[in-house]
Amino acid sequence: MEEALLRIREVSKHFGGVYAVNGVSLDVKQGGIWGLVGPNGSGKTTLFNTVLGLYKPDHGDIYFNDNCINNLLPHQIYALGLVNSFQLPRLFLQMSVLDNMLVAARGHQGDKLFNSLFLRKGWQEQEKGLIEEALEILELVELDKWAFSLAGELSGGQRKLLEVARGLMAKPALLLLDEPAAGINPVLGKSIFQKLKDLSRNGTTFFIVEHRLEILFEFASWVYVMDKGKMVTAGQPQAIIDNPAFYQAYLGEE
Amino acid sequence: MLLYFLDFVVFVGIFAIVALSLNLEFGFAGLANFGKVAFVLIGAYTYALLSQIGVPFYGCLIAGALISAIFGLLISLPALRLRADYLAISVLAFGEILRLIVKSETWIAEGDWGITVSPAISLTGAPPRIDALVNIGLVYSCLFICFLVVQLLTNSPYGRVMRAIREDEVAAEALGKDRAKYKAQALMLGSAMAGVAGGLYAQYLQCVLPGMFMPMITFTVWIMVLLGGPANNWGALLGAALVELFDRGANMAKDYLALPIDPSNLQYILFGALIIFVLLYRPQGLLKESPIKTKALEAVKYGRGAVKNKGS
Repeated sequence: MEEALLRIREVSKHFGGVYAVNGVSLDVKQGGIWGLVGPNGSGKTTLFNTVLGLYKPDHGDIYFNDNCINNLLPHQIYALGLVNSFQLPRLFLQMSVLDNMLVAARGHQGDKLFNSLFLRKGWQEQEKGLIEEALEILELVELDKWAFSLAGELSGGQRKLLEVARGLMAKPALLLLDEPAAGINPVLGKSIFQKLKDLSRNGTTFFIVEHRLEILFEFASWVYVMDKGKMVTAGQPQAIIDNPAFYQAYLGEE
Repeated sequence: MLLYFLDFVVFVGIFAIVALSLNLEFGFAGLANFGKVAFVLIGAYTYALLSQIGVPFYGCLIAGALISAIFGLLISLPALRLRADYLAISVLAFGEILRLIVKSETWIAEGDWGITVSPAISLTGAPPRIDALVNIGLVYSCLFICFLVVQLLTNSPYGRVMRAIREDEVAAEALGKDRAKYKAQALMLGSAMAGVAGGLYAQYLQCVLPGMFMPMITFTVWIMVLLGGPANNWGALLGAALVELFDRGANMAKDYLALPIDPSNLQYILFGALIIFVLLYRPQGLLKESPIKTKALEAVKYGRGAVKNKGS
């Protein structure tokens, strides 16, 4: 059997008396686009934040590449190759778009205090390559023209795109994307998914929360459905569309 | 009058070092350090005590920087758990506690009486203006080194991470940056610089007294940074010069003005008005935040015609 990249086992997270996530288990395997859908408030983002180490799970275990990541800090989880892009963009607004990208770069020598002062030649060479990479990704999301603008000058949709681009810049093994197509025009939204699909052939796996089901179902290979903190059903998009449990989650009890 | 001017120049230099260090902590890393004077005090007392046992002045300055950095590391522990405003209050209290300790003790440095400090480079029989010139040389060499360090740091990937932590520490942490480490390093560096300034302050005034380290020093340095422009190292220098000029100007003006209030409070009233004015009408300070400049970034920015050049 194929080893799962991300394994979530019986994870629960509650806030006060409300269980936002209640005993959820799921696997995300290497390769392709994986979807997570469900009505608003069904616990998708809480599950993502728990995986990322922003919340500690009250119960259950999370494994990434067979490492238990329950008690790791977010930067340690990043180091293992698990990165996310936030639902509401959390950009560095007083910094340029390109600088936002470069913060996300993995293994930049100049990030270290000593190197930044005394080994300037080394990281300056490295930075040239990283800037090239960053500009390529920015081109992908049509932000390359804005590379030297402040992130705070971007429109809402562009901020969302930069948030996604920053996730890509981190070269993750698994990238969690929380509603990448929200607030973005349909044509660009679709072309981003197309590009993610292309990138997934090079070994990056994507796990995506999305309300634009028509786009997600076109590209995802497997979709999980959550409702009221619980996993309701899962399957290939075609099977999900015909599944009554999926309609019940979105439209309520009949 | 010339001596008064030289004295002014020395003070600008010393305060510029402290302003640069606060700018590194607050302007770049977003850490509201309202206990700046505590680190000046640590540097000054370290200098005074070590110079008494015959350590040469550069040794005293370096030791002051190191001990101050250790205290900086200590206050970085609450800095990780507290929100900016709570950190500000606790560090402010830390500074007052230190001042009251050196005021109350008698076995370290004579408490309220203080101790005298011999000048770093003593020229016997030289007129005071030569002494002041020697001090200017010493202070401005230290300022130059500090400025070089912060300029290199803030225009490097390291400075980029610092700014990212200031902007959104959760996002920076999620992008693999250990905020605990960066905050600790920023506070250690800033404190070390303040420690050097403290040593220079002690040896210039040739004494250390608890009364030299009132919280007003911290606020003066804050006004320098806010006026000059946070996250701009040139701004910190400009702010230091302007605020010191303002301070002296108000001091001199007192003698010529008939005021219905106690004239010795005039400076503080004007300082308050100045800070409100700056925050209302020019919240970014006189100089805007300087964008990160690295060789690679410059090459792309000016080498590519297609890249639109905004936001600089």
